[in-house]
Amino acid sequence: MIRGWLTHNLMLKIIALGLAIITWLYVQEILLAYYP
Amino acid sequence: MTSPLAIIAILIKPIAEILILWFVFYQVLVFFEGTRAFQVLKGLIYLLAGFLIFQLLGLETINWLLRNLLGMSILGFLILFQQEIRHGLARLGQQHLFSASLEESEVVAMLDEMSASVYKLAQRKIGCLIALERETKLKTYIDSGVAIDGKVSSELIQSIFVTTSPLHDGGIIIRNDRILAAACLFPLSENINLSKIIGTRHRAALGLSEQTDAIVVMVSEETGNISIATEGRFIPVVNKERFLATLKNFLIRQK
Repeated sequence: MIRGWLTHNLMLKIIALGLAIITWLYVQEILLAYYP
Repeated sequence: MTSPLAIIAILIKPIAEILILWFVFYQVLVFFEGTRAFQVLKGLIYLLAGFLIFQLLGLETINWLLRNLLGMSILGFLILFQQEIRHGLARLGQQHLFSASLEESEVVAMLDEMSASVYKLAQRKIGCLIALERETKLKTYIDSGVAIDGKVSSELIQSIFVTTSPLHDGGIIIRNDRILAAACLFPLSENINLSKIIGTRHRAALGLSEQTDAIVVMVSEETGNISIATEGRFIPVVNKERFLATLKNFLIRQK
C-alpha cells in the first residue's frame, strides 16, 4: 500500500520534497541571520 | 557525548517542519495538476527554486533580478488564472455526495437504466453525452437546453440521442433520478494537451468535468467507445460491470 502511494505521482512528490527542503533551509538562514 | 535520544530530539523538529511543508507543496501541485495553470506554476517553481538556491549561494545581482521577476510572476499568475483558482477553491469544501434525497437502491436503479441505454447507443454507434449532477448545481447548463424533467429510463435516453431527434445535439443533465434537460451546451475543455483529433463531444465532457464536480458519461459516435469524465480526466471503461462500479463509487454516499 505504501509502495503504491509512493509511486503514484512520484514526480510531483519529488518536486514538492525538493521545494520543502529548499524553503526550510532558506527560512532557517533568515532566522539565523536575524536571531542568531 | 551526545546521546542518540538527544540527536533524535534535535532532528525531530526540522523533519516535522519539512514534512509539513512537503505535504502543503504537494497538495498545491496536485490541486493545479492537469490545468493550464500547471504549466505556468511549474515555471514559477523553477524560478522560486533558482531564487532560493542563489540566495543560499549569496549571488546578489541574480538574486535581485529573480526576486523582482518572481513578485511580478505571482501577481500575473493570480490574474491570468483567476478562473482556475476560483473553481479549485469552490471545489475544496465540497463533499462527494450524490444527494441525500435518494436511497442507494434508487441510485442503483437509475444507474442500471442509464447504463442499459448507454450500452445500446454504443452498440449502434450513436453518440451521447450525459452529465450526472453532484454537489455543484448545473443550473447554467440546464438553462441552455430544453427542459424535460422526466424519470430516467433507458428508452427515454435512447430516444433523445437517436440522430433523428431534435434534441440529440448537446448533452442531457441528470439530477437524482430525473433527466432535467436535454440539448444542453457544455463548456469545451481548453486543455492544450488534448490530442488534436479529439472530438467536440469529448471536449465538452472534459470541459464540464473540469469546471464542476459532475460525472460525465459519453459515447463516441465514431468508435462507439464509452468514456467517463471526472475532474478533467477520462476514466477508461473496460466492461459494463466496471462501468457501473465506477459510477456507483462516485455517486453513492460513503457510509
